[in-house]
Amino acid sequence: MAGFLNVLLRNIISGPSTDPFPFGETFSPKSIRGRILIDPERCLGCGMCRHVCVAGAINITKTENDWTITIWQDSCCLCRSCVTYCPMHAMSIDPDWHSAHAEEDKFKRIEQHTIEYQPCAGCGKSMRVISLERAKELYAKDENINPEEIRHLCRSCRQLRDAERKTNSLAHPERTTTKVLS
Amino acid sequence: MENLAKKRNLIMNQTLVERVCSLCSNSHAFTYAMVVENALGIQIPERAKYMRTLAEEIKRVASHLFTLAIQAHLCGFDSLFMHVMEVREQMQDVKETLFGNRMNLSFNCIGGTKFDLEQENLDFLMQTLDKVDPQVTEITDIFETDPMICNRIVGTGILPKEDALRLGVVGPVARGSGLALDVRKESPYAAYDKVSFQLITRDGCDLYARTCVRLHEITESIRIIRQIVQDMPSGEYRTHMTKIFPSEAVARTEAPRGEVIYYIRTNNTEIPERLKWRVPSYMNWEALGVMLRNAKVADAALITNTIDPCVSCTER
Repeated sequence: MAGFLNVLLRNIISGPSTDPFPFGETFSPKSIRGRILIDPERCLGCGMCRHVCVAGAINITKTENDWTITIWQDSCCLCRSCVTYCPMHAMSIDPDWHSAHAEEDKFKRIEQHTIEYQPCAGCGKSMRVISLERAKELYAKDENINPEEIRHLCRSCRQLRDAERKTNSLAHPERTTTKVLS
Repeated sequence: MENLAKKRNLIMNQTLVERVCSLCSNSHAFTYAMVVENALGIQIPERAKYMRTLAEEIKRVASHLFTLAIQAHLCGFDSLFMHVMEVREQMQDVKETLFGNRMNLSFNCIGGTKFDLEQENLDFLMQTLDKVDPQVTEITDIFETDPMICNRIVGTGILPKEDALRLGVVGPVARGSGLALDVRKESPYAAYDKVSFQLITRDGCDLYARTCVRLHEITESIRIIRQIVQDMPSGEYRTHMTKIFPSEAVARTEAPRGEVIYYIRTNNTEIPERLKWRVPSYMNWEALGVMLRNAKVADAALITNTIDPCVSCTER
């Protein structure tokens, strides 16, 4: 019995342990999962996020000129699968957890971006441009590739360029300093 | 839910199985990740093994504290209930800081963990443990000696060892009846073979024995967490799932309530052909038939709580 009397006494001295929220601050670490954000600079519209989203919170609609990616924040269960599996690291989590809202706003709480296709620098076909940062990360191993240049090329043009480089390096091995990316 | 799992791909199921249970949600995600890795022959990095063990033990501390709090509430000792929940709240803060969520951690994924843990968050964990550890010792003392609790639980809800064996009970219910059953010891998985901890058993077979098992397991879990944080290797935390082929596998882990078993059968598609799980509450439920025999009606709720029942797990 004495054990719990100690606890009671301590609690009386130390006062309430609950946070004064909403009139004051409450415990809110910076790694808390508040809501999902999309970086429109990085998104390629590949659909990996939609493929792994069990909540069905992500939708991608494509037109001839652009694609629209939408996240319904009310459906999202913050499982972080889209962040984990996005190959372009376009998804991130914001620690803003203040999600209380009126009933009529439930379909308005969305994260939405419309991203336009751009013409390929090689053939002019409309394509998605990789962000410069991600291109630098992806091609970091090969110094012969200029990330700024390659990110504006479509897949067929990249394959063609790669084939050309390989043929050149076979014909003139002294011209290349490093091994081409296979 | 097993039917839902047959309609979703392997990665989606990782999130789905976490919703089987809320209190041992991490055990389901953990065992599911293990069963897929077993089926597809994926070797996960050492750091991921340690981090998974860490998440599991943090969940165990919070889960056991929750059950004990409810037990105090059912004994009519609501001040103790509030106090234990206050201690548990610190573990909830740890989960929020380390993983970002309070209940469904969403930390495990096929091939390792979804993200890496930062050193400053691990420091926060250690600081919190320094505060929680003496409070747990104090709670242990209160539960073991306070007459308001002891008069209700000593000699109540008896589950003799023979019945425990016959009914195949698992987890703290088995260990409170003198059976030394623990998957973490029997077939160590993740990093459990690298840490030292005691297997807690009691021979009392009553509510008091099971309460003691849970109390001392919290202390052991805190010991495991400290060792894990100290020995955690650096390096990669995730490997990729490269190939899906027809295969089948079983995985089992020790959830806070006992043994969880997962079975998977895959085919050439990314949607599993069959996913089946057996949860600890399913096994422990039958033991209530023995425990409730000749008990007072007033004790029924208390005895039911002692198996730490998870209805969502069992009914799924």
